[in-house]
Amino acid sequence: MIRLLLRVLGERHSGPLRRTVALMSVCAVVEGLSYALLIPLLRALLDDDARAAWPWLAAFAVAVLVVSVLGYFSDKSGFRTGGELSRGLHHRLGDHLARLPLGWFTPGRIGDVSGLTSRSVMEVMSVPAHRLRPLINATLIPLSVVVVLFFFDWRLAVAGLVAAPLIAGVQRWTSKATARQDAERARSSDEAAGRVVEFVRAQPVLRAGGRTGERFGLLDDALHEQWRSGRRAALSGVPGMLGLTFSVQAVFTAVLALGVYLTLDGDLGAPELLAIMVLAARCVEPLLSLADLGGIMRVSRGELERIDAVLTEPPLPRAERPAVPAHDGVRLESVGFRRGDRQVLDGLSLNVEPGRRVAVVGSSGAGKSTLIQLVARFHDVDSGVVRLGGVDVRDIDSEELMSRLSMVFQDVYLFEGTIEDNVRVGRPDATFEEVRAAAAAASLDEVVDRLPDGWATQVGEGGAALSGGERQRVSIARALLKDAPVLLLDEATSALDPESEAAVQAGLDRLMADRTTIMVAHRLSTVESADLIVFLEDGRIAEQGTHEELVRRGGRYADFWRIAAHAVA
Amino acid sequence: MATAEGLHSRAEGREVADGGGPESDAGGPAATSRQVLLRLLRPYRTSLVAVFALQIVSSLAGLAPLIAVVELGRVLLAPGPVDHGAAWLAVWLGVGGLLLRVVLAAASGGIAHLVDGRLQLSLRRLLAQRLGKVPLGWYSHRSSGEINGVVQGDVDQLHHLIAHAPVEATSAVVVPLASLGYLAWVDWRLTLVALVPVLLGLALQRLLQSEDRQREGRRMGEAMGRIGAASVEFVEGISVVKTFGGGGQAHQRYRKAADAFADFFLTYVAGAAGLASLAALVLSPPFVLLLVLGGGTALIAADAMPPADLLPFPLLAVALTAPIAALGHGLDNVHAAERSAERIRDMLSVPPLSEPVTPAEPHGDRVEFRGVGFAYDSGRPVLRGIDLVLEPGTVTALVGPSGAGKSTLAQLVPRFSDPTSGSVLLGGADLRDIPSERLYRHVSFVLQDVRLLRAGIAENIALAVPEADRAAVERVARVAGIHERVQAMPRGYDSVIGEDVGLSGGEAQRLSIARALLVDAPVLVLDEAMSFADAKTEAEIRAALANLVRGRTQLVIAHRLETVAQADRIVVMEEGRIVESGTYHELLALDGKFAAMWRARRAHGGQKREIHR
Repeated sequence: MIRLLLRVLGERHSGPLRRTVALMSVCAVVEGLSYALLIPLLRALLDDDARAAWPWLAAFAVAVLVVSVLGYFSDKSGFRTGGELSRGLHHRLGDHLARLPLGWFTPGRIGDVSGLTSRSVMEVMSVPAHRLRPLINATLIPLSVVVVLFFFDWRLAVAGLVAAPLIAGVQRWTSKATARQDAERARSSDEAAGRVVEFVRAQPVLRAGGRTGERFGLLDDALHEQWRSGRRAALSGVPGMLGLTFSVQAVFTAVLALGVYLTLDGDLGAPELLAIMVLAARCVEPLLSLADLGGIMRVSRGELERIDAVLTEPPLPRAERPAVPAHDGVRLESVGFRRGDRQVLDGLSLNVEPGRRVAVVGSSGAGKSTLIQLVARFHDVDSGVVRLGGVDVRDIDSEELMSRLSMVFQDVYLFEGTIEDNVRVGRPDATFEEVRAAAAAASLDEVVDRLPDGWATQVGEGGAALSGGERQRVSIARALLKDAPVLLLDEATSALDPESEAAVQAGLDRLMADRTTIMVAHRLSTVESADLIVFLEDGRIAEQGTHEELVRRGGRYADFWRIAAHAVA
Repeated sequence: MATAEGLHSRAEGREVADGGGPESDAGGPAATSRQVLLRLLRPYRTSLVAVFALQIVSSLAGLAPLIAVVELGRVLLAPGPVDHGAAWLAVWLGVGGLLLRVVLAAASGGIAHLVDGRLQLSLRRLLAQRLGKVPLGWYSHRSSGEINGVVQGDVDQLHHLIAHAPVEATSAVVVPLASLGYLAWVDWRLTLVALVPVLLGLALQRLLQSEDRQREGRRMGEAMGRIGAASVEFVEGISVVKTFGGGGQAHQRYRKAADAFADFFLTYVAGAAGLASLAALVLSPPFVLLLVLGGGTALIAADAMPPADLLPFPLLAVALTAPIAALGHGLDNVHAAERSAERIRDMLSVPPLSEPVTPAEPHGDRVEFRGVGFAYDSGRPVLRGIDLVLEPGTVTALVGPSGAGKSTLAQLVPRFSDPTSGSVLLGGADLRDIPSERLYRHVSFVLQDVRLLRAGIAENIALAVPEADRAAVERVARVAGIHERVQAMPRGYDSVIGEDVGLSGGEAQRLSIARALLVDAPVLVLDEAMSFADAKTEAEIRAALANLVRGRTQLVIAHRLETVAQADRIVVMEEGRIVESGTYHELLALDGKFAAMWRARRAHGGQKREIHR
């Protein structure tokens, strides 16, 4: 656990954690050893010799003082480490996420990540802040007491020492047995959670089928399975708990019985025995609490493993000697790309001269969106090369690459903040005049005029306050403001209302002017206006040329065109 | 444990006998979360009594070994020869007590866990049931993640309250009280000394739980919440973050939120560190031992107490303080569970879409809106005074700018929500009087975002008609033009979406059309704003739709000029009202809003299509 924690933390934060563990251990050992003073103290008192007791009592008072001071510092160190741990983990997660390929961020991951940054980090930071000290105490205090016993009666000490391997063995066995069930429970909980989300999202269609609540078998089965695996997990903990308590009990019994036997035999004084039993009783509760503490630590460990899994996800490799693109042309050379076991692109080659406009068409699943994602290096290609300005995109520093690209995609994400903030994302240092100009070119100004607070209107989380068409205009304004030489455009597929559509189209026309553009086009008019049309089929280019050339050729594109035009009529 | 199971199954039976009526069960908003919980726990009363009883006995038995050592002391320290039999009896009593404690504690905890599991299952089922009945409009303000947070997270959060709190609370009360009684019986003066750390500890805990601290605790929770929100924003907007450079605001905001939280935590704990450490010290075993042994030494030195009476104090005084030390953490968990219970209560008390008392039968397929108004919870009216008739077999096209209320109007027909004023009638009957199953035989819909389930293709198509056989499913799939694609999938119609296959937008659309074909309802609500992925797919979807719409009464949220031009009637909406209505030619002749919109549209992209006709 600690080792995993140290790895996840990285070097910078491992020092304080090590110091905290050391301090807490010293504190526990001192507390355990201080109990040694109780034996002569109790012996004197039980012998009715109060005078002999005072010095021991004074010594014990000093020991308690030392333990308290140590305890204060270990708590403080634990809290501080916990706080810094949360900072360190959050930063490491954030920095790492920023370096992961864009392709990693599937919709399902968003929920995962927010869980990681809140619940998981919270669980992990509780380890040094709250959980470590009880665990260390419950282990090291009894061990120190056993060491103390050796100074008074080695036979009882040996009997007590038997507890150590016994308890350690049981704990090991338990954690193995429960780990599997816990994983199983986590899996069925995730499954149920997925079904809940699905159930919620599919409400309209489910209602139509009268599939509500328990009549929606997929959800109900998942809930039922969640319950069953939860019960299995709870029950699987029982033998371990019983095993631990029985071992503790057996050792306590052994020490007690052996002590009484020795005392009755006259080998051991009654006051000594009683004093030793007071110490033994002090050890029972901490040892019994090990079962719960172990369980809590396993939870923390599970969360830590989730964090570790994200942190060990390989980021996009960085170029060792970054090169700078010589121009704004884009070139794909026999590019192959797989997703799972599907070959999405298969030896695709395409050359886009600087300033040219290329439309990518083809049936759904032909690899159109993947093509433009590869140019922006959402993923790295499996074979072949993608070049920008003659340079392999993998050899371009990622900030350099991004500075040359503008992307306008279907789903536009707006950050919480004002409209102005969201446009300004395109170029943070732009003047207000420049922002206005970009907005006007994207027909966003009329939206702004209509909004109650104008430029200062809050767009809400994800831009919820704006309609789809309005969000797209923001996205176009961003790209205009950024003014990057290469434009990647995934034309909106969902139709907008006529007014928005006209405005968006006008904005796009301005945006495409004089830029190298690769677009996945869905509107026939946009396709026709392209300098080059590329027809994709099964991850390859089946045909390319201008609209006129392709229609004249009477091949695939021409068929396609006829169907589309005919459907329209 | 077999008995416990028996209790559970009986409890289940009663739950079913109650009719599982969440309306009566969950209580109105007036019911506190505690009342809701108590009501939900009612079926498990017997089990819970058993939990408490077993735990009481177990806690008392747990004291036996300690008292055995005390008694052993009395036997061994007694003047004269040692009574061997009495010594061994004390030993075995102590061991027996420990054994009893362990077994009973396991039984009590086990039952509590089983009750917890049962409760969680029945709560989740109740929630799912309620989610299946609330007006669909309710969902428009909530993310599925939020809802899942209640069904999964908040229900999980009750775990501590049900499975651990009763057990812990019982022993936290029984053990100190029994110990206190025993100690007072042995020596009341030393008992008073032993109470000093208890009182000090309680006072310090009170300070620690003060209003200020609680407020700060809440603020820390909020700081944590901000990290969650910032990270969602950061991740959702990651492509923007990357495209617009490393200095992305979202990343900065996330880092700031993380730093703010860490700083807040550090000052929060630093503020309490002294006090918390003091409380921990006062309640710690070494301090308690020091006090009672100090007091004992004084009493023995003064010859005011026989030495054998000292022995129970170092053994039992520690039991007085232990529950107080654990108090803070237990309470945190209980508070968290109460907050979760409130959210669960809130969700269970959302009023369901009412089912009619006296069901009405629609006569024919004529749809009529009479003075319909609609507003969301916020009170902002979305629809105002809508009067509209959809004659059987006609096509009505809804047009207007986004935000005009077209989707809201369309969604009233399949009763996703009820109008806030006026009424919607189908075949002369108010929708609210038509049982939902009957309604869905008359009305089907193809909407913009198709919801696919992670289930087989056939199951997805037959979602609204569960009794449909495979032949029927294949027939509609053929008509919707998706049969061949399905045949090519690894497991054909049994291929699980999201596991065996992923569907493209166009394929999902066609699947949605197949669904509607299978329902074969005479009234169809259609949102044309679909993902026409490309010209070919578009053509395929067009063809599928043409098969679907034939002869049906349609309400179409129109985005295509052709649909508009060919509709029997065009309804122009603006700001929740119908501003113009008529046929294509009538509206052009009127030269109003529609005519202006039509011209604007033709200026872009429209003309090319006209040429190719």
